[in-house]
Amino acid sequence: MSRGACTAVALAVALAPVPAHAYEFWLRAQTIGQAYQLRDYQLVGPDLFLGRRRVTQTLALRITDVGDLAAARRLARLPEHGLRISWQSYIRIDHDFGDYTTGSITLAGPLRRDAIDVIPELADSVAGLDLMYGYLQLDGLADDRLMLQIGRVLADDGWGTTGIDGGSARYQVPEVPLAVGATAGLRVRASSPLGVTSYELDGTSGAGCQEYVEGPTPGTGSWQLIDRNRMITNSSLSSDYEYCPQRDVNQPTVGITLATSHTKHFGAEVGYRRTWSDTVGLIGPVNRLTNPDLGLYPNDYGQAPATGIDEERLYARAHADWRLGELAIEPYGDARYSILHAAFDRADAGVRLRTREHVLEPAVEYYYPTFDGDSIFNAFSIEPTTDVRLGYRYGDKGAWRATADAWLRRYAHEDATTSFAGGGDAGIQRVLGAGWRGGVDALADTGYGGRRIGGTAQAMWRGSEQVWLRGRMIVLAVAEDPTSTVLAGHYVTTSANFSTTWRVADTVALHFIAEGDHDAIHAIQTRAIAVVDLAFLPEP
Amino acid sequence: MKARIILLLLLALCVVVAAQPAQPEDLDWSPVVYPLQRLPLIFSHQKHLARGAECTACHPNALSSQSAVDNLLPTELQCRACHPIDRSDPAKRATPTAACTSCHPNWTAGSVVQQTYLTPPPLKFAHAQHAQTKCETCHPVRGVDLATTKQLPTMASCITCHKDGDEERHCTDCHLAKLGGLMETQFEQGRLVPGRDGLGDQHGPGFTNNHTQEARQAGNTCNACHDRSECIDCHNGVVKPADFHPGNYLALHVVDAKRGKDCSACHREESFCVACHERSGVGTRAASQFNEIDPSKRFHPIGWASPNAGPNLHAQEARRNINTCASCHREEDCLTCHSAQPGSAHASPHPVGWRGSSRCRAMDRGNRRMCLRCHITQDELGCDWSKH
Repeated sequence: MSRGACTAVALAVALAPVPAHAYEFWLRAQTIGQAYQLRDYQLVGPDLFLGRRRVTQTLALRITDVGDLAAARRLARLPEHGLRISWQSYIRIDHDFGDYTTGSITLAGPLRRDAIDVIPELADSVAGLDLMYGYLQLDGLADDRLMLQIGRVLADDGWGTTGIDGGSARYQVPEVPLAVGATAGLRVRASSPLGVTSYELDGTSGAGCQEYVEGPTPGTGSWQLIDRNRMITNSSLSSDYEYCPQRDVNQPTVGITLATSHTKHFGAEVGYRRTWSDTVGLIGPVNRLTNPDLGLYPNDYGQAPATGIDEERLYARAHADWRLGELAIEPYGDARYSILHAAFDRADAGVRLRTREHVLEPAVEYYYPTFDGDSIFNAFSIEPTTDVRLGYRYGDKGAWRATADAWLRRYAHEDATTSFAGGGDAGIQRVLGAGWRGGVDALADTGYGGRRIGGTAQAMWRGSEQVWLRGRMIVLAVAEDPTSTVLAGHYVTTSANFSTTWRVADTVALHFIAEGDHDAIHAIQTRAIAVVDLAFLPEP
Repeated sequence: MKARIILLLLLALCVVVAAQPAQPEDLDWSPVVYPLQRLPLIFSHQKHLARGAECTACHPNALSSQSAVDNLLPTELQCRACHPIDRSDPAKRATPTAACTSCHPNWTAGSVVQQTYLTPPPLKFAHAQHAQTKCETCHPVRGVDLATTKQLPTMASCITCHKDGDEERHCTDCHLAKLGGLMETQFEQGRLVPGRDGLGDQHGPGFTNNHTQEARQAGNTCNACHDRSECIDCHNGVVKPADFHPGNYLALHVVDAKRGKDCSACHREESFCVACHERSGVGTRAASQFNEIDPSKRFHPIGWASPNAGPNLHAQEARRNINTCASCHREEDCLTCHSAQPGSAHASPHPVGWRGSSRCRAMDRGNRRMCLRCHITQDELGCDWSKH
């Protein structure tokens, strides 16, 4: 076929009349400007203040019923059934252009370097274009039993959310009250396209990455900082000197869950997730360094594994919701087992007892810190903590609302001794009429870590449907635990916070927040935040 | 002891058996879904049904109704089918009763009859789709006189048949949706929040700061009303949530962090904490004015990390909460002493009984890269080697 004919066919196809589809979409956009100060601690003379100037824009987007596939049922007022296609995403542009990230630091010498070169972790906040999630969702497949998500999907094991570039599926098993879920893809890292740092596993140093440089004989080498000085990039958004290739490799992740479905007054879920990564080999020519370099990890005898597991966990959770007359009894229990560490790292159990206006919740919680499989902290002696908590809530709809919490944390030491920390807080709020609402809170805690005592008073005024004002004053006396730092001291900190919301139009609002803090050690610091909210939903 | 355990188990069993779903209570009818009703009437469903009246005789449009906003209340026309009402004779004596005051209490001649008023519920509902279901399945009016909100179905009763109704993707089958598919929750009569519907997601005081369990529940319905971006705005946001972190939390966080409060739901130590600590001059790099060698510039007390020069307190602190260490120190700081490499102090950071332990074997099997940071040579790897 000639080029002209091809063009004619292409034009005909492109210009052919096709039915137009109207998609429903929803947007939530915010523009946030922040200006505040952080202290730069000085041993000699007063502290310096580092300015942070941040501008952030967020955009949440939902497009439903792409292709109008559910329009007929919707018009017939029938429950949704059959294929429906939708899109959900959340994107964020964040730029910090204050001294905090763009300033420079004087080192010994005196040598001045960009702060981001000395502290590569600052790259997380200097500038970011983050896709927090974004996926195409297909509902109603396989007789409405199968749901698919493709794109940057979110996965949650109950103790945190992570992002996965891949897909997830959920299948409702016929005739059985069970649903099977599966997720697979590459875990979102800071180095992923439009990556998000906070989805990474914690524990391996974000900078200061080292490579093993072999000595004259195998095994006599040493770990040295991977110095990018040898391959200057001169970037203003990342460190010019340090380089961390193990943090750039892909992390394949798979997960599977089995959850109850359509079970009344009871729910449970068990899940498994595994993340692994290839071992980084040579990061340059063999003769790049003085001594033989057989890879980022020592591998003279092939002792470096081809891959390593970063996370492998099983988790289970269950809850129930029963009634005993007016009393609602809601017990729950959750546990997570790290196969990589051969240890339970998280567990909790409790029960929420609820009557009309009162909620009482005793609970116990166990915590054993674990880290990314690459982190040496995993092999350190770590002691778990166990918390006992008692919470109370009063008032759901009336003029009065009250909360009270007490907790006790037990540290179980390796030598079979124990130490404790504990405390409590209580607060009360009251609707005062004429748009006014006020409240006071008190807090006291002591034991390992330090001691704090103080309180908060706050008032809110909703002058009209367009204007809200809110003020808060906090006074706390702090006595830090002196065992670990020579800086620990006693001081009183005060803080005043004032915020206002001006509703410009139905869903458009401007928020302003100002905060001034003072304490005996660090004098005063200020914070100002302005938010343009294009999808404003007022608090009740 | 055994008897006490058995007693406790029996007690727990009694609670579970007794705690079965009970009859609906006042709180089960949301005032937002079923708002204001004004029923200035005298009427008895009980008596009418006892005399054989059919529901559709008085509510003839119910079977064909397609919307929850349809007014299905009987008009005088339906009443006249049995009651010989005569407007020119308001006090008419008849059987069945025909006097105006028989149904309209306190009405006096010449006054305006008080109107019956039911605010349409903000729901999608088509009676026509439920024509095969007996009316009394959803409207238990047989034992009552005037039907009120209590004779309207609760959500718990709806999902006895509509079993998918407990899934967040099906919430908008009945509830109104706004653009984008999220549930509409803002109404003139109030804000629609989860109630005692058996889904275990009831919101209450302190819910903003304490919703872990609701969010963890298998099949939770959070995203029916809340876009996922709302979660991220707090848990992964750029603005400090003032309700959670009060003013000057920068000064206050020291105590929380040292105690081992888990901050990982929102923050990562290796980027968030380290970056700020380093930039604030309390890190471990050259930018800090602290110097552990110069006694006048110490950050930690004397003998902090030396068993020879002091109490070596850092070991105890690290065991209790290594996250605190990790918020300033990178791994190479630890490796200065805790490594099997030449030149290191060869101080073992491992717990007692590490060698040969199941934890050691699991980690060696799972990711030997971690081991290679300290143990280089072949004979040092694995969990069975011993230092000569």
